[in-house]
Amino acid sequence: MINSLPPGFIMFIGAFLIPFLPKLGRQIYMIFLVLLSAFFLFNGFGTHLTINVLDYNFIINHSDNLSLPFAIVFHIAAFITIIYGAHKDDWKENVAVISYAGAAIAALHAGDLFTLFFWWEATAFTSVFLVLGGNTTRAYRAAFRYIVIQVGSGMFLLAGAVLFLYSNGNALLGQMSIDDTSGLLIFLAFGIKAAFPFLNGWLQDTYPEASEVGTVALSSFTTKLAIYALARSFAGTDILIYIGALMTFFPIFFAVIENDLRRVLAYSLNNQLGFMVVAVGIGTELAINGAAAHAFAHIIYKGLLFMSMGAVLYRAGTTKASELGGLYKYMPFTTIFCIIGAMSISAFPLFSGFVAKSLIMSSLGGMGMVLIYFILFFASAGVLEHSGIKIPYFAFFAHERKNKVKEAPINMLIAMGIAAFLCIAIGVFPKYLYQILPYAVEYQPYTLDHVISQLQLLVFAIIAFLFLVKFKLYPSEIRSTVLNSDWFYRKMLPGIGKPLFKKIGLLTDSLYKNLGLSFKQVLSKSYKFSNLSYIKVTTPSFAGTILISILFIMLVIVLV
Amino acid sequence: MILLKLIKKFGKINSIVLFICILLLLLEFVGHRHGEFKIEEFLFFPALFGYISCIVIFKVGVALRSIFMRDEDYYD
Repeated sequence: MINSLPPGFIMFIGAFLIPFLPKLGRQIYMIFLVLLSAFFLFNGFGTHLTINVLDYNFIINHSDNLSLPFAIVFHIAAFITIIYGAHKDDWKENVAVISYAGAAIAALHAGDLFTLFFWWEATAFTSVFLVLGGNTTRAYRAAFRYIVIQVGSGMFLLAGAVLFLYSNGNALLGQMSIDDTSGLLIFLAFGIKAAFPFLNGWLQDTYPEASEVGTVALSSFTTKLAIYALARSFAGTDILIYIGALMTFFPIFFAVIENDLRRVLAYSLNNQLGFMVVAVGIGTELAINGAAAHAFAHIIYKGLLFMSMGAVLYRAGTTKASELGGLYKYMPFTTIFCIIGAMSISAFPLFSGFVAKSLIMSSLGGMGMVLIYFILFFASAGVLEHSGIKIPYFAFFAHERKNKVKEAPINMLIAMGIAAFLCIAIGVFPKYLYQILPYAVEYQPYTLDHVISQLQLLVFAIIAFLFLVKFKLYPSEIRSTVLNSDWFYRKMLPGIGKPLFKKIGLLTDSLYKNLGLSFKQVLSKSYKFSNLSYIKVTTPSFAGTILISILFIMLVIVLV
Repeated sequence: MILLKLIKKFGKINSIVLFICILLLLLEFVGHRHGEFKIEEFLFFPALFGYISCIVIFKVGVALRSIFMRDEDYYD
């Protein structure tokens, strides 16, 4: 029985012991949990655990060639994040990180839609505490928006799953079509978490508000779980190619004008997801391999970049480009690790991004999609511009710094060192990554054509940037907010809705308060160890969540 | 002498990158560079594409500032 539990489950359950352990014991225990969970990956492919409840088979543990690469890299990310956060004595964050990673890993092994739904929501409820860990008013508010949207995604998934079960007689997690209502609802659920255009606001809104450790954990799991789910159920769905191309294209421009470097990375994350979504849309064996390889490499180099900016935040107190610069003198190791992450994401030959992205570009070439190919080619130059150059340049160089800061703590350096090592190792020895991909494909990324073409693109984009800086054409960074799709629900809807639905507002307010009060009563009785600020935010979040749930249950009833 | 003057004018890092650029352009003549599409095989295509893309991204980004940029406490 124990052998057949899904990987990640032990991390999710084991997290409940963390509050009772001392600081050092906690770190060791968490690493032990990750290693123990990884041990379950050796069970081999197939369905290992099914539970029958009321004549319905919950497929709790199913692993195959698609879930494996994601599961491996999720374990690596969890391991690195634990080391990265070892300097902090914060059991709440520890619990959140380990249970969140565990839920995401278990979700990869769900064989049916309802099991997936359970873990889908579990990732939302565990990760919201990472956003709250930012410990600022902005973070609390962002956490509220985050949980409503994440649970909203779950409700779409639940509605889709119920309809799917109703019309097909089973709810197996397999290939689906967006032509059915059920398929469309599930597609939307995945799309919200994969940050499709106009559904992406939550990502740039919340990730930069978490603590330095929280952001690293957040960047690894939720969105890549969505990519996995898309690859599982919507591979070869044409519209994904166009959605993905838009995702690679638009965030570039926003990243250029954004001042907060962690938010720049969030835009860049969105752009990288676009590459994976395009690959899933193509759906050939080479393309799915590309999506998986890109997700694998991306989690590590994006984690590395977020870690380096987290170190900057920890030491310099901000990640705003307008207030940074010149840190290379004081944080030389962090600078080197950041540059390695930047070169990986820019897909320089001998770095991990190159061997992963080449698969996607080649699969596009094979399909004869000229326009999409060149949009992605353009996006590659864009990645270099904002993640490859802007991040290291404005954080560590740009201008001289007056105040001294210390180098990052040793545990942060070790975590960044491991990630940097993996970025280079994957780039130099791609065959080990290719071996764990879903399909056996003979592919050689290091051809003279690929290397020269990519180097020309990148180096000439660099020289263009250098000329812009040299001739003082590159504008200095300005403290600002850049509008994103979250504007619709943060400004536009309240702007229209408040005066128009004042009366309804009053009604929902009272409902809100009542729900909130009753929840607070429950909490105050059983939640002695929590501080009040957590309750303050979770109260309206849960009230909002319950409202959304009621609405969706009504929707399902109407549709059925 | 002229080379030293140029390096002084452009700065060390710029000169090194410029040197790599020239080297990469010369590599075009080593053999025929195959691309996924015919247009990619044009002489210096990726180089021009990279250079122009970077300028376009920067120009469009700056232009978008007037539309999408607000005060830092816009939402507060």
